[in-house]
Amino acid sequence: MSWLNPDDAQWTYVSRRLIPARLISVWLAVLIFAVVLLALQAYAGGWWYIGAAVVLVAGLWSTWVAVRQVTAHAWAERDDDLVVKSGRMFRRVVVVPYGRMQYVEVQAGPMARMFGIARVQLHTASPGTDAHISGVPVAQAARLRDRLTTRGEAQLAGL
Amino acid sequence: MHPVSPFLGIWPLLGAILFYMVVSRAPDWVGGGSDDGVTDAINATHLSYFVIGAILLGIIALVALFGYLGWRFNQYRIGDDAVYQRKGVLFRQQRQARLDRLQAVDVVQPFLARLVGFGVIRIEVAGGENSGIALEYLRIGDAEALRNEILELAAGYKRRRDPSQGTDAADGPRAADAVASDAGSSTSAHGSLGALQGDNLVLGGLHGATANDRTDRPAAAERPVYAVPNGRLIGSIALSWPTFWLLLTPVWIVLLIVIFRIDIERIFLAIVGTSLVTAVPVVVGLLGFFWTQLNRGFGFKAGISQDGIRLRHGLLETRRQTVPPGRVQAVRLRQSWWWRKPGWWDVSINVAGYQNDQDAVSTLLPVGSRAEALEAVWLVLPDLGLVGEDGTDPSAPITEAMESPRAEDGFTTSPRRARALDLFQWRQRGVRATDSALVIRSGRFVREVSITPHARTQSLELRQGPLQRALGLASVEVHSTNGPVKPVAKHLALVDAVALLDAQAARAREGRKHQTPEQWMKAVGLDAR
Repeated sequence: MSWLNPDDAQWTYVSRRLIPARLISVWLAVLIFAVVLLALQAYAGGWWYIGAAVVLVAGLWSTWVAVRQVTAHAWAERDDDLVVKSGRMFRRVVVVPYGRMQYVEVQAGPMARMFGIARVQLHTASPGTDAHISGVPVAQAARLRDRLTTRGEAQLAGL
Repeated sequence: MHPVSPFLGIWPLLGAILFYMVVSRAPDWVGGGSDDGVTDAINATHLSYFVIGAILLGIIALVALFGYLGWRFNQYRIGDDAVYQRKGVLFRQQRQARLDRLQAVDVVQPFLARLVGFGVIRIEVAGGENSGIALEYLRIGDAEALRNEILELAAGYKRRRDPSQGTDAADGPRAADAVASDAGSSTSAHGSLGALQGDNLVLGGLHGATANDRTDRPAAAERPVYAVPNGRLIGSIALSWPTFWLLLTPVWIVLLIVIFRIDIERIFLAIVGTSLVTAVPVVVGLLGFFWTQLNRGFGFKAGISQDGIRLRHGLLETRRQTVPPGRVQAVRLRQSWWWRKPGWWDVSINVAGYQNDQDAVSTLLPVGSRAEALEAVWLVLPDLGLVGEDGTDPSAPITEAMESPRAEDGFTTSPRRARALDLFQWRQRGVRATDSALVIRSGRFVREVSITPHARTQSLELRQGPLQRALGLASVEVHSTNGPVKPVAKHLALVDAVALLDAQAARAREGRKHQTPEQWMKAVGLDAR
């Protein structure tokens, strides 16, 4: 498999804590649906439990997807650019030169904060650049942001 | 800003009033029956027409008052390295456009403003949404002079500190005038602005500014490069899919009747019967495509000057664009199937900062021969790194990209197995890197060639979906700024794609090092006059 694997790239994988952070909301939804469907089964009878089973399978499948996605999500800081890879089924590698970064955004929702992770998003002058790293531990995210902005200033090119 | 600004700004309102007046006076068959709701409502309120007239007058007075206030508070000023604007009555707004981030300066004349000789200056800077500045309505002479001045400053010319010498002698009295007339019409806001300006700033927003105040700044000499004859423009619009579908309308109707057995006569009567007022916008919408094409390409002229490329075009609303050198982020040449016979191409560009109206501002050549298209590309990307070592045609990569693919034309093409995913285009797809730009070719029926200079590459992306993975393919996308050009090389062999991504990252790095400076005249040591 000759997927992009630059020699000088030290891939840093995102925190596994991203998996539970993503799955909590999924399983909450699964639980609610399953309870409602099972309650319908209990009171009205019929085939409602099939629905509950489907919901359960969907939950398991998205768990599988989340695990696979998170274990494939990584970034590498090279000398001149940041490389972010993500996805397994739909794989993506984005290369963002430091000199092209307009700003770096760090955001953390309530769920992410609970697990102590944040999402680092890079913005260039192009709306097409979708370079985000989800699930970076908070302290590391702050360091990464500072490092990226310093490097960006050092290498800043015009547009 | 010029005092007439509010009147030019509210013309849509005037148009609406006029439209209502016309409709309400027109005979019933235009309005489609006597369902004039407004008249009914007026009758229902039992108010006399006098009261209603008074209310209307009050509304007009209010609009006029707000227009006046808006105009009074709308001021701009040009510093050495930025253009500042402040406006707004209730919500004050201050904006500055840094000249070193300047991407384009347009002089736009909407139809009504054009009739009376006024125009808008739009200064586009690199930045987020709505980061540009629009100076609405200046006399057209002032607007052009101001544009030249902004471009000169952005190019890196320093404004002369001593106003009593040289060609800029007019600066002194003008600045003095400015302060004087400012004091004459003083409000506290004006006074503080007057205090704000340094000795080398020009104050705008003046009521005393006259047309010949600014015309002492000659425009940089312009050399025309090409013009699009209106006949060819109309021909090119006629040779398009919308015309084709429109001409097929009778066929559709027959098909509908035959297949669905629709009583076409009843539908037709129903449509006509509703009202002319509703039917007209539908027709206008249908013809809208043709209209926008015609309006934006009419009288298209391109030229080159020291300030960059200059484009002018427009039928009712005219637009004069100036894009300084090195501001073009990507170029796309396109030829639809209908244009292959006459050999026409259109050329679009990405310029950072243009947000709205992409179609109108991003056209470099609405329709032209292959030679003109190449000339247009040369205009915006003079250095394509194509200087042939062995005397070959320097534009070879592009001309070859514009033709059908041949073996050994230097393009990395999609492999044959891409056919499963991309039945029509796979043969045409190809990528070729020159020393300074990446050329991507695609399209079977609509041929497209996109050119992205390495120095303008924002970021790169390599993607692969499950089907591509099964076939060992991948796509490479080069991210450019917002605009019509989206360079993507789809369905390359995985090895080629990975190699391209790596090589392109290196080339972009190299390109950034040799980038032209933001103040383009400094590149040739012309930073002082």
